[in-house]
Amino acid sequence: MTHTVGYLQHRRRALPNWTADAPEGVDVMAVPETELADLPTGAISALLVGMHVDQCLFAANRAWTRGFLAAGGTVIMNGLLAYPFLDGLARFQPLPRRSREALEVRIVEPVHPILRGVSAHDLSYRKGVAGFYGRGQVPPLPGARVISTLDHGTVPLDWEWPAPGGGRLLMHPGNDLWMYAGGPTSAARMAHQMLAWAARLPGFGEDAA
Amino acid sequence: MTGQPIAILDGGTYYHHFAFADPMVADRVDTVVTLRGLRPAQLAGFGTVIVACRSNPDLLAEAAEALIGVLRRGDRLVVLGENEPTGWLPGVRETGVPTNYWWWLDPAADLGLTLRTPDHPLFRYVDLQSATWHYHGRFDLPQGAVGLIDCVEGGPILYEDRVSWPGTLLVTSLDPIYHHGSFFMPAASRFLDGLMAWLRASADEPCA
Repeated sequence: MTHTVGYLQHRRRALPNWTADAPEGVDVMAVPETELADLPTGAISALLVGMHVDQCLFAANRAWTRGFLAAGGTVIMNGLLAYPFLDGLARFQPLPRRSREALEVRIVEPVHPILRGVSAHDLSYRKGVAGFYGRGQVPPLPGARVISTLDHGTVPLDWEWPAPGGGRLLMHPGNDLWMYAGGPTSAARMAHQMLAWAARLPGFGEDAA
Repeated sequence: MTGQPIAILDGGTYYHHFAFADPMVADRVDTVVTLRGLRPAQLAGFGTVIVACRSNPDLLAEAAEALIGVLRRGDRLVVLGENEPTGWLPGVRETGVPTNYWWWLDPAADLGLTLRTPDHPLFRYVDLQSATWHYHGRFDLPQGAVGLIDCVEGGPILYEDRVSWPGTLLVTSLDPIYHHGSFFMPAASRFLDGLMAWLRASADEPCA
C-alpha cells in the first residue's frame, strides 16, 4: 500500500530534491497552497507545511485542516506560527534570552520516531551556529506530548498533539525539519524518518515509542 | 504621519507578520498591503512601496505591473533580498553567490563588504557593521545607478537607481525582514531599524 504525503507548495516549481528519498511505500505529492481547500481530505495521509508558506492563507483554510485532522490526517507544521489555525493555538513566542546555552536543544525520552538516532548536539548546532532548529515556542495544546525542549529543558520546542478523530499535529516552531536532509550530521536522518512517521509505516506509528 | 506615505507588502509569511508587528517597522510605514492578488490601484498615492524580503516570486511576477507602475509614475520602490527581481523587474540583474553563513566563527574573518558611497544619506542611519551578516546575491550596476555596498565577489549588494525610471529604485540582496521576523541575527535587526528610519525620514523630507 502506498501512502501519499502532501507537500504544501508555495512556489510553482518541482518538489524539492529531498522528497525523492522517501521511504518505500511513501509518495510525496505537491499540493499548491492555493488549491488546498479543494483537496479531498482522503487524497493524502499527511500534510507537510514548510516555513515559507503563506500562513495567512493556510489559516484561512482552517476548516479544511480541522476536517483533515478529524479524518485521521497528520499535519507537520514547520516555521514560527504567526497565524493560529486551530482553536487554542497561540502565536510563536521567542525565548526571552537567546544565549547559546538557552538555544541548546534537549531531546525528551522516550525519543520520538522522527528523532531516532539524531543527537541533540546536531540539532543545537549547525556548523557551530545555534538557533536554526528552534528559538522559542508555540505553547503546546492541552494533551500534547513534548518531544524536545530549549533553555535547559524549561521551554517546550517540538510537540505532538493527538487530534480528536485520530489525526495528529506535529508542531516544529523552527526552520524546516528537512533543511538538514543530505547534510553531514545525524540531523540529516530526520527528513526520511519524518516521512515514515507521517505515513505511519510499521515501527513509526502508534506502535513506536 | 506626514510626508509621502509608505506601503509595505505582506506575503502572509510568519516573518512578514512578526517583523511588521514590531514598532521598528509598524511605526515607520503607513499601510500594510496584501501581496496576493495585488491590484495597481492599491498602490496609488504611496511615495514609497516596500517589497519585503523573501516574498513569493510567483506572486511578485503577478504583481509586476503594479510594482513597475510605482517606478513609472516617479515614486520609490524598495526591493529587499531574496525576491528574485531578475524575473519580474526589468533591468535588474542579480547573480546568486554561495552564502557564507559561518564566516564570523573565525575571529580573523571578514565578510568582505565595503561601503561604496559613504556619503549617501542612508549611511547616517546604518553602518557597514549592521549590514554585515551574510548576503545571497550581487547585482550588475545599471549605468548611472549608485552602488551603496559592494561585496568581495565584485558588484553591489545594495544600490539606488534614479536614472532607469522616472522614480527611484532601491534594491538589495540583504534580507533583514526575514531575519528580524525570524528572531535570528541581531545585525539584521539593526540594519532593518536603520533602513526603516531612513526610508521614513526621506519620505518625510526628500533630502534626508
